[in-house]
Amino acid sequence: MKKTGLKTNDLILQTITKIVLFIVIIFSFHLFFAGHNAPGGGFIGGLITSGAIVLLLIAFDVKTVKAILPINYVKVAAFGLLIAILSGIGSFLFGVPFLSHTHGHVHIPVLGDTHLATAVIFDLGVYFVVVGVTMTIIQTIGETE
Amino acid sequence: MNNNIIILPIIIPMITAVLLIFFNKQEKVQKYLSAVSSVINIGISVFLVHYVHTNGIISLEVGDWKAPFGIVLVADMYAILLVLTANIIVFACLLFSYKIVDYNRSKFFYYSGVMFLLTGVSGAFLTGDLFNLFVFYEVMLMSSYFLIVHGNSKPQLRETIKYILVNVISSALFVISVAFLYAVTGTLNMADLSLRVAELGSSGIIAAISIMYLIVFGLKGAIFPLFFWMPGSYQAPPAAVTALFGALLTKVGVYSITRVFTLIFLQDIAFTHTFIAWLAVLTIIFGVIGAISFSDIKQIVIYNILTGVGVILFGVSTMTESGLEGSVYYMIHDMIIKGLLFLLVGIVFSITGTTNLDKFSGLIKKYPTLGWMFFIAALALAGIPPLSGFIGKLKIVQGGFEQGEFVLAFAVLLSSLLVLYSVMKIFINGFWGEEKIPQVLETSQVKSLYVPAAFLLALSLFYGLGTEFISSYIKQAEQVLLSPDLYIEAVLKE
Amino acid sequence: MFEFIIWISLALIAASSLLLMIRLIKGPSVPDRAISLDAIGINLVGITAIMSIVLDTSAFLDIILLIGILAFIGTVSIAKFLEKGEIIENDRNNQ
Repeated sequence: MKKTGLKTNDLILQTITKIVLFIVIIFSFHLFFAGHNAPGGGFIGGLITSGAIVLLLIAFDVKTVKAILPINYVKVAAFGLLIAILSGIGSFLFGVPFLSHTHGHVHIPVLGDTHLATAVIFDLGVYFVVVGVTMTIIQTIGETE
Repeated sequence: MNNNIIILPIIIPMITAVLLIFFNKQEKVQKYLSAVSSVINIGISVFLVHYVHTNGIISLEVGDWKAPFGIVLVADMYAILLVLTANIIVFACLLFSYKIVDYNRSKFFYYSGVMFLLTGVSGAFLTGDLFNLFVFYEVMLMSSYFLIVHGNSKPQLRETIKYILVNVISSALFVISVAFLYAVTGTLNMADLSLRVAELGSSGIIAAISIMYLIVFGLKGAIFPLFFWMPGSYQAPPAAVTALFGALLTKVGVYSITRVFTLIFLQDIAFTHTFIAWLAVLTIIFGVIGAISFSDIKQIVIYNILTGVGVILFGVSTMTESGLEGSVYYMIHDMIIKGLLFLLVGIVFSITGTTNLDKFSGLIKKYPTLGWMFFIAALALAGIPPLSGFIGKLKIVQGGFEQGEFVLAFAVLLSSLLVLYSVMKIFINGFWGEEKIPQVLETSQVKSLYVPAAFLLALSLFYGLGTEFISSYIKQAEQVLLSPDLYIEAVLKE
Repeated sequence: MFEFIIWISLALIAASSLLLMIRLIKGPSVPDRAISLDAIGINLVGITAIMSIVLDTSAFLDIILLIGILAFIGTVSIAKFLEKGEIIENDRNNQ
């Protein structure tokens, strides 16, 4: 496409992005935790989070986003993978088959009666892997010289 | 006691690979960590071989989901022996990589790639579920895409595109055939499949599906006529990676064919297994023709992979006791010897800077050790009696004769002669004759490259000379292949 | 009566999606296509909302938000591509 030399005015986009970003990220957390019994989970949550970061990249530029989020996304993916594997290692301690999961109801002060499941730990790993991989891909193919 | 230990050969390389991503800038950490984890892995595999030898087949229901419904990992003797061999070869290739992979390449996750490859290969050997097999194939293929393009040279980029296209298509076919089989039988657990397919009896649709699986695994295992992608793709990457690919990747395909056609598709042996026998012999013939016609040492060894694949598959197709036993023998021998030959080719390449036989000769004067190592490896490849290839080929041919396939068995026998010719051609032209070496490398630099090759050579010698010690293990592997009931009983615990 | 209105509105949204589809294929210019894509996204949100009324469930509400976000990001990136020729800039202050 043609590349105009004019400096464009992105004021509306940037202002909206600053607000919408947080809504999107909170929504991704909601999806992540909804995952156990409803549609959602680590994969979708991770995709939406990377969607939010992509929005930031569009509204601003790579340099600004690197200043805000000084993260090496490859390491994020590796970190997620590590969590996912280690969540399985627990089964060695309890003497149950690999990747067995358990769940229970716990009373937490603010939230009240909460349904906790160990599958969430694995899902958290998936979340980080998805964010890391998606952002690595987008950064690699989206960067112009 | 639950059998969590089966998962260790899969997750230890995986954890190592992940940790290596974090330490991609520290070369020392990379080397030590990968070496240590590889040694631990070999230890665990040896223990598992011993454990399976005394306790029989063990299986693990992952996530505590009961057998036909959840995913199972099954360690029978054949699988666990192959896992052990794969680990040993990865260890040797790692030792080799430490010398030839420089920092500029290792910081881009080279060792992680190798470890992820090992994860996929071990997983593919150990899984007892067809869809899970597909998943581990993908893990293995992803890392192989990464390793084949790693280094970024022009031929690598060109070959990677072909390699990825072929494998993406075959993966799609794999999923389609898994879906077909699921639609017909309603299960994907291999043991359960074996029962269900037996209930269905001899039907056309099962035969069609079995041929689909043969095509899918044949593409990965490079059997005739699906080997067209292999010579180019294996030519491109550096020696350590080619050694890994040649020793492990095609063998996973062959293992899957063996597993599927000795456990599940047993209804129409007269059709499917005769078909495989013919394909196997054609594979041998084409491999031998390729090996003789090329004057590039890497290509010669690559075409010898084809011959090896053909010989193993011919042993499987006989479905007799000695044929299957021979194929197990030959499989392990072939993994070791192909890894060894590619490492030796790598050493020759780093000495002369070329793999073209016309450009160098007379290496044996300056590098006698290398020359004699190559000589012994060549004899072992061809199956000269006291060395490792002999017993496997003997049993396979015996199996062929028992089945009355005299022509095909004779073709297998004849192939060893031509294989010997093709590698002796390297020895005579490259090592003997007038001394002509394009570039001269200090002997001390080459010495450190000998270590992994010597390690594999010693193993190959031990495998050939200590057949008596190994035979009880091989026998156990063969029994499971011959009578699927043992496998089914261990998995479904009826 | 209420149900009748719901079905009528579903049919209308579907018809408008079809018309937008024509615009999407015919063009004639790239901005036309971008706008029609965005409008199809909004129609999808509408259809999902009405379907969740018909089926009397709140399970689709997440999906509405999801389509909204994706359509928004998609439209913004197409718009930026049309205007600047690149979607993600390296450093917008000194090029």
